[in-house]
Amino acid sequence: MVDELCQGALSFHSQMRHDMIHAACSPPPITMTSYFVRRFLLIAPTFIGVTILVFVLTRLVPGGPIERMLQEAAMAGGDFTSATSGFDGHGGSTLSDEQIEELKVYYGFDKPVLVAYVEWLGKVLVLDLGTSTRYNDPVWDTIRDRFPISIFYGVATLILTYGVCIPLGIVKAIRHRTAFDNVSSALVFFGYAIPSYIVGIALLTAFAANLDWFPLGGFVSDNFDSLSAPGKAIDVLWHATLPLLAYMAGAFAVTTMLMKNSLMDNLAADYVRTAIAKGMDFRRAVFGHALRNSLIPIATSFGNIITLFLTGSFLIEKIFNIDGFGLLAFESLVERDYPVVMGALVLSSLLFLIGNILSDICVALVDPRVKFGSGESAQ
Amino acid sequence: MAALLAVEELSVGFDTEEDLVNVLDRVSFDIEAGETLGLVGESGCGKSVTALAVMGLLPKPAGRIQGGDILFRGDSLLALPRERMRTIRGNRIAMIFQEPMTALNPVQRIGRQLAETFALHEPGLSSDAIRQRSLGLLEEVGIPAPDRRLDEYPHQLSGGMRQRVMIAMALAGRPDVLIADEPTTALDVTIQAQILELLRDLQRDTGMAIIFITHDLGVIAELCSRVVVMYAGRVAEQADIHPLFAHPLHPYTRGLLDSIPRLEGEPKTPLTTIPGTVPGIDDLPGGCRFVNRCPFAERRCEGEPPPLDALTAGHRVACYRWREIEADDARPHPA
Repeated sequence: MVDELCQGALSFHSQMRHDMIHAACSPPPITMTSYFVRRFLLIAPTFIGVTILVFVLTRLVPGGPIERMLQEAAMAGGDFTSATSGFDGHGGSTLSDEQIEELKVYYGFDKPVLVAYVEWLGKVLVLDLGTSTRYNDPVWDTIRDRFPISIFYGVATLILTYGVCIPLGIVKAIRHRTAFDNVSSALVFFGYAIPSYIVGIALLTAFAANLDWFPLGGFVSDNFDSLSAPGKAIDVLWHATLPLLAYMAGAFAVTTMLMKNSLMDNLAADYVRTAIAKGMDFRRAVFGHALRNSLIPIATSFGNIITLFLTGSFLIEKIFNIDGFGLLAFESLVERDYPVVMGALVLSSLLFLIGNILSDICVALVDPRVKFGSGESAQ
Repeated sequence: MAALLAVEELSVGFDTEEDLVNVLDRVSFDIEAGETLGLVGESGCGKSVTALAVMGLLPKPAGRIQGGDILFRGDSLLALPRERMRTIRGNRIAMIFQEPMTALNPVQRIGRQLAETFALHEPGLSSDAIRQRSLGLLEEVGIPAPDRRLDEYPHQLSGGMRQRVMIAMALAGRPDVLIADEPTTALDVTIQAQILELLRDLQRDTGMAIIFITHDLGVIAELCSRVVVMYAGRVAEQADIHPLFAHPLHPYTRGLLDSIPRLEGEPKTPLTTIPGTVPGIDDLPGGCRFVNRCPFAERRCEGEPPPLDALTAGHRVACYRWREIEADDARPHPA
């Protein structure tokens, strides 16, 4: 859910970005710098909007840390009937009303929602994300523990996607409609059409359960600490092969086809013909002119790379038993561990918002035609 | 002496989904140094394909030369190995295009795109020398403040300025032949006049030959000394400028000339047009390709294609009935 909310913020922002690009030819004489300063200032209201929405939701939805605690107490007391009732203190609860009030004060549920939100925001501003109600650890530590896994999978998918998709897209564009192009398209779309968790389960069944080539799950082996440095690297890669394949199966299609179509557009462009008419050979015209320009659409998402700190698909992590960020975010929701929910939201929304601005900066750097909010039009 | 550039019986075909269709059928013309030859005809008549074939830029793999030859200073361009062709293309024979807005790379500075031409044909030129030469070229094509323009991007220039940059790039190698494919069609009339004047001045100064492709007979009249009228991939008529305008013999040429609005004509009368449109390349008539639009068409026009008859050494026409048309012309017209 955290991710989806941020995706919402993301699409809102990219919409705004496009509006800004299209508005670039209209009069107001604002410089690029002031445009980006304004974009950074807009982070604050957007961030407050996103967090306030989720904060209010956590108050409105049934369940919560107190109810969970009541359930646990009830389960421990053997009274299963009360496990499904609300936390109104009735129905044979094992906790007294005073104890429940104490818990409400402890978790901040005694205050009106906006007051509680402002208090929470005040703590966030001094970098205090609170304490997990599930683990009783600081939220920041809980999230930070997942960073190595997220960063590993984030960097690996990044390298593999760009390392495979860009060359593949280039070859497909140059050999458009050849057997190679058709077969690779079929494979890429086949991977795209199957949900990644199905790919994950299929791979796990085939190569871990039946063939026993790869481990059944986990990020590293139990004896990881006793391994040598190269042994550790091999161990991580050995564990990562199947999950990475599951992550990648669907990821190839978009970037590959974007690259292919973008390059084909540029190959057909007049300026490539001009370059060849100048006496340039086809190869140099492709790599010197068409390729660079066709990378522009891909650069538009480059800034969002900073969100790789939070890479992790709940389903794939669940299947491969990886204790990563996706699983943490999902389980914190199921378990009503609101401080972790909010902490994850703070991080992901900030990274998405900053990533969007970085993407815009990338676009402005690679494409001289883009003048965000600039009054200097083409004369 | 052989012509500077001669296109001889050139036939070009394009692969379509079904089969190979002929888009250029035995097209011949030649051009001498310092001469301006106009290639005129409606859209889709093969003007641009002719130009691309001369440049060796036919779209691959669809386009292919089916027959004939292109001779540059007596040597066949079609027989040249690819590396040799690259030393001619952009250097000895250069080309400018219809759309100055898209013909330049949008994300590279003007200076870099100009420098590229020098780097291709005169490797070893220092970057200082390249910059000096580029400045000289921009000045030559009438671009004010060339020093600043070199560091600008195409979108910062107007259409007319971009076409001047294209011309400067084409001139970089001091070409013997410049092919101008509708270079003024996308520009304002005033800018068009400036560009035509520029081309004329450049030709006077450099002595290059220009093949000027256009559908605008007005531009032809202003610039060219000889004209090739093309229709549906064939040469319909070929003549010096004055005989062509004074005594057009091919019904198609007559139709084109009649379609020009005239000052001395009756105001507010319908504009004369040629009925119908150019047939699609997959749907060409068997005999004369103009037969379905021709007011003079008769039985034999649907049989064998009419040969290119020579009326004089310079005036050729591909029509069975040109003698009758000429005789008709010679009669005094009722006013």
